[in-house]
Amino acid sequence: MKKILGILGLLIAICVFTSVASPYFLTAFNIENLLRRSALFGILSIGAGIVIMGRGIDLSIGSVVCLTGIVTPWLLTEHGWSVGPAVVVVLGLALTLGVAHGLLITRLGLQPFLVTLCGLLLYRGIARGLTADQTQGFRGEFAALRHLGNGRIPVPGSDSFALPVPCLIVGILAVGAAVLLHRTVYGRHLLAVGSNEEAARYSGIDTRRVTTVSYALCSLLAGLGGLLFVLDVGSAQPVDFGNFYELYAIAAAVLGGCSLRGGVGTITGILIGAAVMQVLRNMITLTDWIPDTVEYAVIGAVILAGVVVDELVKRWAAARARNLADTG
Amino acid sequence: MRTTESSRVRRFAIAALLVLAWACSASEQGADGKTVPRLAFVTNGVASFWVIAEKGARAAGKATGTKVSVHMPAEGIADQKRILEDLVTRRIDGIAVSPIDPANQTELLNATAARTNLITHDSDAPDSKRVCYIGMDNYAAGRSCGQLVKEALPDGGQVFLFIGRLEQDNARRRRQGVIDELLARSHDPARYDPPGQPLVGESYTILGTLTDQFDRAVGKANAEDALSKHPEVDALVGLFAYNPPLCLAALEQAGKLGEIVVIGFDEADETLRGIQDGTVYGTVVQDPYQYGYRSIAVLAALARGDRTLLPASGFIDIPARQIRAAEVDAFWADLRAKTDGR
Repeated sequence: MKKILGILGLLIAICVFTSVASPYFLTAFNIENLLRRSALFGILSIGAGIVIMGRGIDLSIGSVVCLTGIVTPWLLTEHGWSVGPAVVVVLGLALTLGVAHGLLITRLGLQPFLVTLCGLLLYRGIARGLTADQTQGFRGEFAALRHLGNGRIPVPGSDSFALPVPCLIVGILAVGAAVLLHRTVYGRHLLAVGSNEEAARYSGIDTRRVTTVSYALCSLLAGLGGLLFVLDVGSAQPVDFGNFYELYAIAAAVLGGCSLRGGVGTITGILIGAAVMQVLRNMITLTDWIPDTVEYAVIGAVILAGVVVDELVKRWAAARARNLADTG
Repeated sequence: MRTTESSRVRRFAIAALLVLAWACSASEQGADGKTVPRLAFVTNGVASFWVIAEKGARAAGKATGTKVSVHMPAEGIADQKRILEDLVTRRIDGIAVSPIDPANQTELLNATAARTNLITHDSDAPDSKRVCYIGMDNYAAGRSCGQLVKEALPDGGQVFLFIGRLEQDNARRRRQGVIDELLARSHDPARYDPPGQPLVGESYTILGTLTDQFDRAVGKANAEDALSKHPEVDALVGLFAYNPPLCLAALEQAGKLGEIVVIGFDEADETLRGIQDGTVYGTVVQDPYQYGYRSIAVLAALARGDRTLLPASGFIDIPARQIRAAEVDAFWADLRAKTDGR
């Protein structure tokens, strides 16, 4: 809990600031939009977080998003597949890619950075080649399936506000991931591998299997995220769909308390981290006086300021506690 | 003890933030305290073309006394969706957008149109509920390009066409305009000649059309292959901005620069220099400044309840211009002035 206080404080500070700066921030419409975007990025971030907790890294997330985001409408509209098989094939494809990453890293001993960097190049290239760089979209059809990405669940007692469907999906995934991490043997093993792989191996943990599963889960979640992203947006261009999403996912996980040195992290923190990124972008568009061109600079500066303040407050509190203990 | 001190620090920080936020929110109002219409100009990406359009939009904002924000989605279609949603959240008084993928964005555009005045510019979404479209008639621009070919080859000749792709509507119409002008056909934007076989007219023959799917290397290879296959060709016509420079590069390699004439589209530096050097006869250019200016002028009128600027057809034509040797210096100087800095 203590670990996520800093990032929670940052999220609240940005929300309070934006709600005062813009009268539209707290409208039902905007809150819904923010919840949906945070949920979609949250799905990717949970995957990134799982890999990072096992002291790995996955740079291929954005390209997996692109591949599933492109292949889904491509199968459905260009090739006339029905929804069931298309979804199964797309998610199966993502899972297979993740297993392949895991095996290359654990069995062949390749660097995770290198394997997933090649994935980043490979999958976007495949998506572009497969479609000859053509935009893939649903052409206004498949409304029922698209509900998963852009649907709203009415909330009793409110006419204007409804819960976006991706929120429900990320909620289920988050509970599942939290249980997996903190209540199962696999979760304990993953954190042990992340803290000290050698020690984990000597204590009898099948570290290769644990690591492979973490990469498989990450790619599966990225694939699901890509599917939901394209269902929400309606179409995808191979050249830029999902570009940089791996960095947003990794940033959300690290902001949310995962250490790149492995072994620590919470799902709640990761979701808050994902929300911070989305609220920051929303703030920039909602307030007139920040030009869009400096958007990335503002996001970078606010996050950096947030973590610096968090670190200073922690040190100050620790020093005070020491002083009190010495004098008292 | 510790908690009171840290909570004092926290309270001070929150108060400072609130004051800052309040100061920022005050700037949402005009100088005289009255709220002025707030309008947004949304592009389909980041490009120097859009920097010129932004200048036009801002100039119109000044002229109409409205507040204009310009948004260039850097991350593609998902980013454009986010921007439109956030603008609608702000209860903006009007949006002009160049939809990235009109066929698949109808839903988003209709949701936006339901909450504010929505017009399209540069690329239309005819199936959506947008109020009007401001842009170029690509068929007419194509015919205008065909006229340049006729001027360059007054006694007729054989022509080869190069274009990025034919799947998109604007490209198809642009190419058809060139063909119909050269074959002296009637005005019919819906006509379509498949690219396979040569088209023979009375004095002009279109030997073929090659597409490159925006791959510059393929585009250059296309021009090279056309030259080796048809050494008798008289003119190469490049219909996307990057095509004329690639034609020039292929001609230079073949040692036929100046011998076979190039006619272009848009204002790539190489194309304009080619016009100065005499290797390019002329080019047809769009007017992004007017896209920006007219979009904001129409939105400003709509925000004030004035619908007189809207044409019955729902289409405001910003005609393309022909640039030949006589016009190129003045055009280039003006272009530099509009693209330099902000």
